[in-house]
Amino acid sequence: MPKMNIGILSKRKTMLAGRLKNCLENKGFSVSFYTLENLVINETLLEQDFFILKSKSLFFLYAGYFLEANKKIVIPNPQISFIQKNRIHSHFLMKKVGLLTPDIYLGTAETFKRQLDLKDFPFILKPIMGSGSKGVKVIKSFNDLKKKGILYLEKFIKGVHYNIYFIDNNICTLVKPPLANEHVDMKKIETPDDIKDLINKWINFFNGDLLFGHLDIVREESSNRLYVVDPGSFPEFTNWKCDIEPIETICNLIIDKYRKLRKNHNKY
Amino acid sequence: MKKIGIIIDKYHLKYKVSDFLKYLRSKAEIVLYVEESFLLNPSKLNFDEDIFFAKAKGDLVLTFIKLVEEETSIPIINSYKGTWLAINRFLNSLYLKKAGIPIPDYTLNPKGIIPQFRDYIIKNIIDQKNYKFKPIVHKENGQLKVADERALNEVDKTDPRYNYLYYQKFIKSKWEYKIYGIGEDVYFYKQLPILINPNKIESRKKIDVIPELEEYCYKAMEVMDLKLTSLDFLKSKEQFFLTDINCTPNFNYIKNGPQIVANYLLEQAKK
Repeated sequence: MPKMNIGILSKRKTMLAGRLKNCLENKGFSVSFYTLENLVINETLLEQDFFILKSKSLFFLYAGYFLEANKKIVIPNPQISFIQKNRIHSHFLMKKVGLLTPDIYLGTAETFKRQLDLKDFPFILKPIMGSGSKGVKVIKSFNDLKKKGILYLEKFIKGVHYNIYFIDNNICTLVKPPLANEHVDMKKIETPDDIKDLINKWINFFNGDLLFGHLDIVREESSNRLYVVDPGSFPEFTNWKCDIEPIETICNLIIDKYRKLRKNHNKY
Repeated sequence: MKKIGIIIDKYHLKYKVSDFLKYLRSKAEIVLYVEESFLLNPSKLNFDEDIFFAKAKGDLVLTFIKLVEEETSIPIINSYKGTWLAINRFLNSLYLKKAGIPIPDYTLNPKGIIPQFRDYIIKNIIDQKNYKFKPIVHKENGQLKVADERALNEVDKTDPRYNYLYYQKFIKSKWEYKIYGIGEDVYFYKQLPILINPNKIESRKKIDVIPELEEYCYKAMEVMDLKLTSLDFLKSKEQFFLTDINCTPNFNYIKNGPQIVANYLLEQAKK
């Protein structure tokens, strides 16, 4: 069997992407990185057999769409990554899946000043294209609304914040400080049944196309209800503190998925 | 009387729709949603419009379109898909090429990596704001390099800031063909390319139907889910190339354009 060539679309060559490369190379694959320095989106990309879409900033997503349009397999699926990256899409997707998500508000700072009710504060300001804590800020009063253009606000849910990783059927639940990124120290807890149900509902929605990921969830203090505040398609799994070894498992899941998709491709 | 929701921004409201609104007001009830002064909170909105018309493409407008599609059965022109693809130049190039519509060769490169074709034009990647094409032309050793000032600004100065440039192979053409698709109807014009005469209207003339362009127009509208569009074509060695597609065309340039668009919206309004 000829040696398979895999491209990794990633901002970084280190951390999880680097470890994933090592894992794949140890299994005999040839792996190349495409970063923002060397990623040229045209036919030259098509020499690889398949791609791993590690980063989901715009240009990596564009590359993913380009590759799919040219019948190359990309894992995770670019559209699934995009709808988790774009907060408008993910808001409506959560509703479609049947999950609770905070109310959202869009407008200019001036519109908010004229029309938002003071009693509704605080809000969370987030970039429309983004995931995690980058560009996220608590808005406690109108004075915090200084940015120009259309702003995206979410209702702040007061309660316990969780970072929940999932890899295949394994769920790892961690309590995190509000609005903290994935890399701060977090405390592992036993996964409560309602969180298990929520994660399974989320995974099942994608019919086998969601191999791993994470959800940021808040359990509202006043109602005990769970609100999904951010999805993520390819976290670093920095805080994975559960049984399985994440890199090896992800590596195997990706290869299995590629083989299944390849088989289906060949059928037609 | 039909009720029509117009989702618009200040720029289009001030400069582009006065005749359209004047005519439409005589036929329907109009509700204006202006991006710069409207607070969009999906959980607190109830619409009873018979149709929505989006005449802008900012983030609030896009969210509004998505909301209408996801949570109501009210028709909206144009759709989210059409608007999103039209503002994302790279994605629409991908869709249009895949559909078999001839477009010039293109590539998306990090700044500093030049494209594989000799003569090129650098265009903005995300066409969401309301400013005009400002060409910067360089000729070196017979090679033609044209850049849209907006594309360079996106990379170097203003938001959105990123490190990529969209290069499109330059097509030398005597005329630029401006095709408008409004529902099932297609309107044909031509004008001198903007690099030859920056006043595009000065040379614009109505032309007869060109069946090939009509077919491309229908195909582009179908694959991008656009009901209302304008398409720019250039012609080189008897081959047409689609160079731009727009989801908020300026229909004032078509004879009776405002009335044609208004009547089309009334026809499409929920029965």
